[in-house]
Amino acid sequence: MRPYTPQDSVSVTAYDSVWATETRPAETQDAFERTMLSEDKLYVVLGVVLLIWFGILVMLFRNERKIAQLEKDVEGLGG
Amino acid sequence: MSKVKLTIKATIAVWMTAVVLGAFLLAIPKMPILEHTARNLYFHVPMWFTLMAALLVSAYQSGKYLRTGNIVHDIRAEQAAWVGVAFGVLGLVTGMLWARFTWYTGTGKWWNNDPKQLMAAVQLLIYGAYFVLRSGFDDERRRARLSGVYNLFAAATVPFLLYILPRQFTSLHPGADGNPAFDEITDPVMRLVLYPAFIGFIALFWWIYDQRVRLALVERALDEQADYAQPTA
Repeated sequence: MRPYTPQDSVSVTAYDSVWATETRPAETQDAFERTMLSEDKLYVVLGVVLLIWFGILVMLFRNERKIAQLEKDVEGLGG
Repeated sequence: MSKVKLTIKATIAVWMTAVVLGAFLLAIPKMPILEHTARNLYFHVPMWFTLMAALLVSAYQSGKYLRTGNIVHDIRAEQAAWVGVAFGVLGLVTGMLWARFTWYTGTGKWWNNDPKQLMAAVQLLIYGAYFVLRSGFDDERRRARLSGVYNLFAAATVPFLLYILPRQFTSLHPGADGNPAFDEITDPVMRLVLYPAFIGFIALFWWIYDQRVRLALVERALDEQADYAQPTA
């Protein structure tokens, strides 16, 4: 919702959300989007780096699981 | 672990740290719309080069298996494809995030059907089918032979899906129909980070691939030992 301004008239706002002489925010932005676009969009780069980091973590944890399984197998052999 | 491998891995760790530092600290020309997201070049693009390098290794190992019949090559082919696809998925999600907050701000669009995005998704599905195919066999030799042949066909689609086809359509990507090529729009200073990033991420692929191959070989050796220890038939 845009704030009420003196130019508003009920008849116009009822049909049209844009008052011709008024500047309206170009896009609706939620908090996440506002954060991502701040600092000249630097946080988009942070997001990309974090995604890759999480990807590497997933691979690490999968190796971890595999090692644990192999350790169990070794034990099963009595080794 | 051999000493040489350990030295290489330590070098990769230092190398990638330098790449990340360079990616954030080096000043780059400011472009409208792109702004700082131009730095994503250092991370998003190497994902795809790493995928292609990994798939090349995978196809090479499959070819070697088909010629020699040595199962180790089949294990290597599978692991290279697996780690490669993981990097491909990262390429896809990093691209989605980049586009969402750069060219599709205010629209909430995470998937924009860019030709390169679509073809890359198809490419990953083709390799997804490779793993599904592999899971369909109990016999190690049959699995290795048939999936090896499939892998060679899959590798043959890579240049078409990732290069030739996407360039025939309009796209956000450089070199596509009507877009300037990478060379014309990329500042020399960015190459100082980008090229080392290519090397670094491909080396990182090798690191993870090496670990997975060794784990798979140990697993196979243990299975064989278990078979000897408890003869079932």
